[in-house]
Amino acid sequence: MKCLELADVSYRYEGSTEYVLKNISAAFDSGKVYTVVGESGAGKSTLLSLISGLDVCKEGDVYYDGKNLRELDRDDYRAKCVGVIFQGYNLLINSTAVYNITLSMNISESEIMGRRAKKEAAFALLNKVGIDRETADRKILYLSGGEQQRVGIARALSHNPDVIIADEPTGNLDAETESEVLKILTRLAHEDGKCVIIVTHSENVTAIADEIIGIHAGNLIAGEKYRENSAFHGENGHERTKTIRENEQ
Amino acid sequence: MKNKNFYVIENALLNLGKNKGRNFLQGVMIFAVITTTVIALSIHNTSVAIIGEYKTRFGSEVNIVPETLADNLPDITAEQALLYSQSEYLRDAQVDEVKIGSGAIKLVYYLKSPESLDAFRTEVQDKGLPAGYIVDIDKAGYDRMVMPMEGLKDISLTFLLIVLALGCAIMILLSIISVRERKYEIGVLRAMGMKKQKLAMGLWVEILIITSVCFILSLIAGGLLSQSISDALLAGLMNTATEPVDISVSPQTVLQIFGVAMLFASVAGIISVSKITKYEPIKILMERN
Repeated sequence: MKCLELADVSYRYEGSTEYVLKNISAAFDSGKVYTVVGESGAGKSTLLSLISGLDVCKEGDVYYDGKNLRELDRDDYRAKCVGVIFQGYNLLINSTAVYNITLSMNISESEIMGRRAKKEAAFALLNKVGIDRETADRKILYLSGGEQQRVGIARALSHNPDVIIADEPTGNLDAETESEVLKILTRLAHEDGKCVIIVTHSENVTAIADEIIGIHAGNLIAGEKYRENSAFHGENGHERTKTIRENEQ
Repeated sequence: MKNKNFYVIENALLNLGKNKGRNFLQGVMIFAVITTTVIALSIHNTSVAIIGEYKTRFGSEVNIVPETLADNLPDITAEQALLYSQSEYLRDAQVDEVKIGSGAIKLVYYLKSPESLDAFRTEVQDKGLPAGYIVDIDKAGYDRMVMPMEGLKDISLTFLLIVLALGCAIMILLSIISVRERKYEIGVLRAMGMKKQKLAMGLWVEILIITSVCFILSLIAGGLLSQSISDALLAGLMNTATEPVDISVSPQTVLQIFGVAMLFASVAGIISVSKITKYEPIKILMERN
């Protein structure tokens, strides 16, 4: 089922005449994992900010569930329809992990009523991503990068959004934590029917994708074509991708 | 609807505890501004009240005195003095006789209202007041008593205006610094979908709580300090020893100070709202990342 759609989306920064994204058209279905890949500065994160409603495209339109984002309240859209996992986590560092989740529930006007019920739901959600109660009661400031990333994931899920957007979700994680985070994201798409869109440089992340969207200099490149683009992967990039695929098989 | 917004207040309360250092500094500044406002307002209001009382007292106390102390002035008889006292402009038919030297006397009457002076003067003249007498209030006595109080009132008013201007400037500065410092937090909350007005409301609740606490503390501190400051100011203004003026924080003053405190909180709120309105979450987060 089509969940998100980009129709001829173009974007340039204020005061600039150069387009960062040029006429991008793509559709995203529920129940699938998408990875958006491309070299640094290609426009991947800009694409995510447009999809997540943090920014508005200059030309073209983004549709969520058939509705144009320009006509929706973007605050409500961010609070209720999409869950964003930021590369830099973007959590309230002076608050506890569990508070970050309950606050997100409150902002999204969650159906869970009562402070205690919300807190219990937040603990359950954190537990689902591997954060125990003791850790959940600690301030973000005192959590490791991996723990913060998990809290970020839990927060993105706190309002049960249809679309999960992740910007380099494993960029700061060790191999073991990366693997766990990827399992969580895959499960969200394949078991819970969410549309998961991940911006990444990591080939390990690309390996879990159902579909790959390549961006090169603001233009969309079909996934497989992109895999063959050695300019992105570096001299041995293609070989590395092949190895991952072989290992999966 | 009520429950859906309650978290904004809850979050504001939690933030007060989280940012103790900054809130304490902000509190100290607000406390200083409100305390000086309490002192200035208390002195000003008391001065105004005393001046008003003096005006009523001296303005109501009307004297019939010889224009000069000449020997050939006809005397005012007791019957005449009594006749003058039977006036609708006077509080009662009371007349006091005061010797003013060389056998001359001053007749003192008490008007219902200082505004009736002209009417009373005409009435007395119509009743046959001999030439050479004047009907007037004790201007010299009034000036002697009121001038220092006018000086005190003017000083406190100037001080109050300076404090209010400085207070507003400080609040604007503090709000800008506070919002800038919390830019990241604002960016995160906005990225989570919190609406600008709710965010602004949260910041306003925080500043309102800090201001309310400062308001209570300032009332106590200001009440204690204003008497000694007033005494010191009066001592400088009066050449002769005089009775000390009892400075008090009246309910009217409390209300005015409350208004000033709310003005400061509103200034802070408006600044926060205007800053937040300009912030775009994506820019804040991009800057930080």
